[in-house]
Amino acid sequence: MAEGFVAALPSAGSTAVQEASPAERQQEIVMKLEEKVALTLDQLGIRDPASVQRLFAEVREALLAERQQLVAGGAADEADRIRLAKALRDRWLGRKNGLLSFIGEHWLKPAERDLKPSVGRAFNELRQLAAELEVERLAAQIPIRAPHKAAESPEAGRPISAPAPDLSLPGYRRPLGSIHPITRVQREIEEIFLGLGYRIETGPEIESTYYNFDALNIPESHPSRDDVDTFYLDARTVLRTHTSPVQIRAMQKFGAPLYIIIPGTCYRRDNPDATHSPMFHQMEGLAIDEDITFADLKGTLDYFAKRLLGERTRTRLTPSFFPFTEPSGELAVSCFLCEGKGCRTCKQSGWIELGGCGMVHPEVLRAGGIDPDRYSGWAFGMGIDRFAMTKYDIGDIQLFFQSDVRFLEQF
Amino acid sequence: MKISLNWLSEFVNLPADPRELGAVLPSLGLGVESMASVGDDCVLDLEVTTNRPDCLSHYGVARELAAYYQTQLRPPRAEVHESGEPAASAVSIEIADPELCARYCGRVVKNVRIEPSPAWLAARLEAVGVRPINNVADVTNYVLMELGHPLHAFDFDRIAGRRIIVRRALAGEGLRTLDGVDRKLDPANLVIADETRPVALAGVMGGAASEISAGTRHVLLESAWFEPTSVRRTAKMHGLHTEASHRFERGADIEMAPVALNRAAALIAEIAGGEVLSGIVDVYLRPLVRGALTLRASEIHRLLGTDAAEGDVERILRSLGFAVQSETPGRWQVSPPSFRLDVSREVDLVEELARHLGYDRLPSRVRPAPPRLEHDELRTKELALFELLVALGYRQIIAPAMLDPAECTRFTDRPAVIISNPLSQEASAMRTTAVPSMLHALRWNLDRGQEDLRLFEVGKTYTRPARAGDLAEERRVLTLGLSGHRRPASVHDTARALDFFDLKGDLEALFQVFDLEALEFKAGGCSYYDARLSGRYEHGAGLLVIFGQLGEGCAREYKLRRPVWLAEIDLESLLGRPLRTPRFRSFPRYPVVVRDFALVVPDSIAYQQIAAAIEQQQVPEIRSFRPVDLFRGGSLDHGCYGLLIRVCFQSEVKTLTNDEIDQFGRRILSALHPLGIRLRHQG
Ligand SMILES: [Zn+2]
Repeated sequence: MAEGFVAALPSAGSTAVQEASPAERQQEIVMKLEEKVALTLDQLGIRDPASVQRLFAEVREALLAERQQLVAGGAADEADRIRLAKALRDRWLGRKNGLLSFIGEHWLKPAERDLKPSVGRAFNELRQLAAELEVERLAAQIPIRAPHKAAESPEAGRPISAPAPDLSLPGYRRPLGSIHPITRVQREIEEIFLGLGYRIETGPEIESTYYNFDALNIPESHPSRDDVDTFYLDARTVLRTHTSPVQIRAMQKFGAPLYIIIPGTCYRRDNPDATHSPMFHQMEGLAIDEDITFADLKGTLDYFAKRLLGERTRTRLTPSFFPFTEPSGELAVSCFLCEGKGCRTCKQSGWIELGGCGMVHPEVLRAGGIDPDRYSGWAFGMGIDRFAMTKYDIGDIQLFFQSDVRFLEQF
Repeated sequence: MKISLNWLSEFVNLPADPRELGAVLPSLGLGVESMASVGDDCVLDLEVTTNRPDCLSHYGVARELAAYYQTQLRPPRAEVHESGEPAASAVSIEIADPELCARYCGRVVKNVRIEPSPAWLAARLEAVGVRPINNVADVTNYVLMELGHPLHAFDFDRIAGRRIIVRRALAGEGLRTLDGVDRKLDPANLVIADETRPVALAGVMGGAASEISAGTRHVLLESAWFEPTSVRRTAKMHGLHTEASHRFERGADIEMAPVALNRAAALIAEIAGGEVLSGIVDVYLRPLVRGALTLRASEIHRLLGTDAAEGDVERILRSLGFAVQSETPGRWQVSPPSFRLDVSREVDLVEELARHLGYDRLPSRVRPAPPRLEHDELRTKELALFELLVALGYRQIIAPAMLDPAECTRFTDRPAVIISNPLSQEASAMRTTAVPSMLHALRWNLDRGQEDLRLFEVGKTYTRPARAGDLAEERRVLTLGLSGHRRPASVHDTARALDFFDLKGDLEALFQVFDLEALEFKAGGCSYYDARLSGRYEHGAGLLVIFGQLGEGCAREYKLRRPVWLAEIDLESLLGRPLRTPRFRSFPRYPVVVRDFALVVPDSIAYQQIAAAIEQQQVPEIRSFRPVDLFRGGSLDHGCYGLLIRVCFQSEVKTLTNDEIDQFGRRILSALHPLGIRLRHQG
């Protein structure tokens, strides 16, 4: 047998010590350990290896518990630390009166022949564990208490019978993280369209003017192409101003029929203030098929709004203008706070603007390589940030991008 | 665009309750921003989309309402009482650049009395937000608000040579505009010039020298059509945005030019006296030619999902000013009016019908996509990742992607994508690394007394393409940023500061989610990490994670007042791996035996080597092992440390005997022996 090879204790995962709850076990040991070591195994009624293992497990637990108590109790000062550490060491390893010397004397020596190997191994293991009770090392682990606590603190190493714990104390919580409100809203919207069988598509944020403008029927002279409004990298490359270029990329990649949603980060050259951010997030929906009509646009968006904001939500579609859709519309939903009666959030109108939409312009379909005489489609776009601001009553868009934990922890 | 209901009611009968318009106008695409009572009048602020300059006037809005209410549209009075002298002999007009000015109409009004406008006119202008100046200038503004066509009045005596030349500015020319600003002109600017110099910035603003003043006797009225792009460019170049430029930029009505001119001349004669010389000097070099469009009932049905009655189609389009000819049943030839430059296709006609049939009256149906088999795996992975990070206590941040390029070069030498027109130097490039963003986020919180931080960001880094014209490389990265305590102090436990192994443990949990090929841990991060407390994980394809405590120098630069930890994870590689698929493995029925090994290990040996040595034994009965205690000093020799390893032994086929376990133990020890590792307390 390998010398000094620590004998296995049937501790943590094994079945042998699982009958008594830890609290009960500790009580028992605290009361009886000194008495027990004064008796022989025979006198304790321990006559088989399993019981031996169990007994030693209890002792080991007791040792660990006392060590833990010592550390948790703290010390008044440096000298106190050493004194406390010494006391524990002596209690277990004291040459004359240490618990270990009693155990060697009363349990190991007189053990029956057939029990001796298991007692020997268990005793050896206990010695290994106790050997870690070095004064310096122990002392270093004991924190020095604030002075006012010193008087009431129990002496380390001495068993204490504590009063029942105050269960009204708050629980010990693990810190949980949180998902950014923009991501939360984005996911909610995605879920609704995924439920309708749409697919999520994404595309580059650094985009050519062709995909960002030309292919979307936005002519060279259109004001939105102005370098006052759009970030340019060079004459033909921009930070995309909307997620719409992905419409074209997806049409070119998949052709028709096509049912997708496009979440993503976009950029516009707005000076940051409470309602503007040069970086923001958009969500678009696009459906192209052989018989897509304005009715699909209306019905699907109405369904979307009801799923997003509740069954009682009403939608209102009014004519609008976008170069890439024709006819175009503005989608508003009845205010989910006041249900249309008028409040601060809806500026007393009872309606909240959600986004723009329309039937995909034939030139856009053509740019995507889709025959506009055979296929038609509808598209929808909304600002995720803006909607999140309304939904969570956030007055300043900058809060989204400051990473302030006082903001993040509210979601 | 402000609209006075009193003014509007001159052209169309309005509903008894004007509040009704608050709903009707938006249903036609004219959003109502506000509605306010002004005396006995009511003023609406309309939001007019850029494609509808025709609605930037009372008459245009009246046309939409007349169509909606199916009622008469009454045009404004414009009978001009002319005097004998022909205008053409008083002034000569020449368009030198017909590309930028397609039409220029002029009239001369002689012997006017310049004085304040009558109360009714001044009140109307004020109601729609225009400040009255004098009767002649006010008339031009009045007609602008009424008919939407911008006009300009010159003091005719100040027009040298009684000649108007519409031309590009010459290099070096200047003009003091009505706002008193001296402007340097550019050949890109179209100007109205007299014989000697520019007198107005075409379509944008007049010149101060030829402004109507108290001493003005004769007036030259201009009503023209300027090319939209040129007006926009000029207005922008000079930082001007005027009522005139606003309309010309969007496309004015070329046929309205003489009508508005007559209306203004008539009004001036009425309120400022004077005689209108006979005739309009109308230089119309590029007449507007627009073909008819074919409209099919089938296309209406295909796009709107419903049929429109033939009568409705014709009535709606005619009331909006379109000429409609029925070709065959369900097929029309439609000519758009000159004020509707936005209508150039069949689909545009369908939109007109949809608007006036009413979006709210069109049918509606929910349209799911056809069923498909593929599953969005990437999203599933992302959700799993986010879920784990939240459970580990991380809060998601979204950080700005634009940074100072100099800041990024502190961390990486990847070339940045530079923005040519940034808002500030601090946001003038797309970030090549997400590290500065995370450091800013940590600092922001530390500076605000938030000290226990666990943040994560899923965002992109951007690298300039090697070849111009290629798309930039956009790569998704996951960044973790930590500071403060593992768990905050509470009555239950003392606070404990975060350390390297908290972060490493979180990464290990992260790797559990994915089915990753063998990862190799290496000590040492990169330049900006603390060399002693950083490391990296590599896998087949390369670097997967680099992490550790931020180096002191960098922490100082970012004024971070507490130690912070970072992890940069190549998200694309991670998400490129499949999620770990659970597979049940039945647990053996035989008991587990746990044994602790108290080892004495030379300082030069890392745990990784010990673990590898044990694993190499490939003993199936060694179910698991882990280090449970590590200590130095005490009775240990210098140059060694103590390591307690807990090993679980279990067989799938039998109960292990003590002898067998001892044997496995010996195998472990002999495997560790070559590393100079021995048991403590031998003997
Ligand atoms: Zn409300």
